Amino acid sequence: MLLRGLTVLVLFQLLGSALNVLILPVLPGPIIGLVLLFVYLLVVGKVNQPINEAATGLLRYLPVLLLPPVAGVLVHFNDIIVDIWPIAVALTLSATVSIVFAGWLMQKLIERQQKRKEQA
Amino acid sequence: MSLDWQGALNVVLEHPLFSVGLTLAVYQLAQALYARTKLMLLQPLLVAVLLLVGTLVLLRMDYQLYKNNTQLLTLLLGPATVALAVPLYQNIKRVRQVLLPTLITLLVAGTFATVLGVGIAWLMGAEHMIVMALAPKSVTTPIAMLVAEQIGGSASLAAVFVMITGMLGAIFGVELLRLFRVVHPAAVGMALGMVAHAIGTARCLQEGEEQGAFAALAMSMMGVITAVALPLVVALLS
Repeated sequence: MLLRGLTVLVLFQLLGSALNVLILPVLPGPIIGLVLLFVYLLVVGKVNQPINEAATGLLRYLPVLLLPPVAGVLVHFNDIIVDIWPIAVALTLSATVSIVFAGWLMQKLIERQQKRKEQA
Repeated sequence: MSLDWQGALNVVLEHPLFSVGLTLAVYQLAQALYARTKLMLLQPLLVAVLLLVGTLVLLRMDYQLYKNNTQLLTLLLGPATVALAVPLYQNIKRVRQVLLPTLITLLVAGTFATVLGVGIAWLMGAEHMIVMALAPKSVTTPIAMLVAEQIGGSASLAAVFVMITGMLGAIFGVELLRLFRVVHPAAVGMALGMVAHAIGTARCLQEGEEQGAFAALAMSMMGVITAVALPLVVALLS
């Protein structure tokens, strides 16, 4: 079961990589694969057992798969030191301000939707 | 007769399984540490990277060699990224009633979050490669790395920025929102999920199930929308 699901995921990724070369050079192959699988799930209307099993298994160990590329930060140590202030300010300010803005906007929109429902 | 210790050590260190084993070991160590302490600052991926980089430096192992020897793991990253479609589909089904507010918030606040981060770094004169690595900082790591690379930033730097953003959001997010009287469970979940991705989602699950569900939804939608829109926008602008 796990293998069947994994095969499906591999197929979608390969399809994405092919489309990347053929018509969509702007989007990375795995992203196209992701969108295609999402559309497939919408059409089918459910997540079948093999896909669910493979997806859950892979996503559980995602951090381990990410470790080798992330360790490449080693090579960029000097780049970070050079731009440490822009990086620090951009990260802190945009994280805090965006969270407040996103939360406030969502709350306003929900309140407006509820008021409309009450009037209707 | 003298034994060839140096030769044996070299064979072990250069064996692909050493790199794979090291990766598995540091991750488990980091995960155990997080399970013991429950400290947001000790994110398993971040601690594991520090341990890994420290070990590589101590062993004087070339990053390129380590990278080549761990291709077995990296190869699975593609299918794992495709697999993100599954949680996205399941989350979308769960929150149909407020789909419109959710979409509007994602588009408006998501754009705002990205532009603000990129804008500040650019105005302060950061290197192009750094600015492009900052752009996907609110997106879940595998997507952020792909997007950063696509638009001319460093994938590993992007991953580090993603983790820092996630930790900032998880540590200060809920209190900050309370300060500005944002308390609706869906709004709290949306804000943390879309800015602080997986780490923010974990924090939301501590607040309650509705917060957690919205955070998971916001994280997966923010990831996919950014993955599709950001490379397109950058391609159009440049």
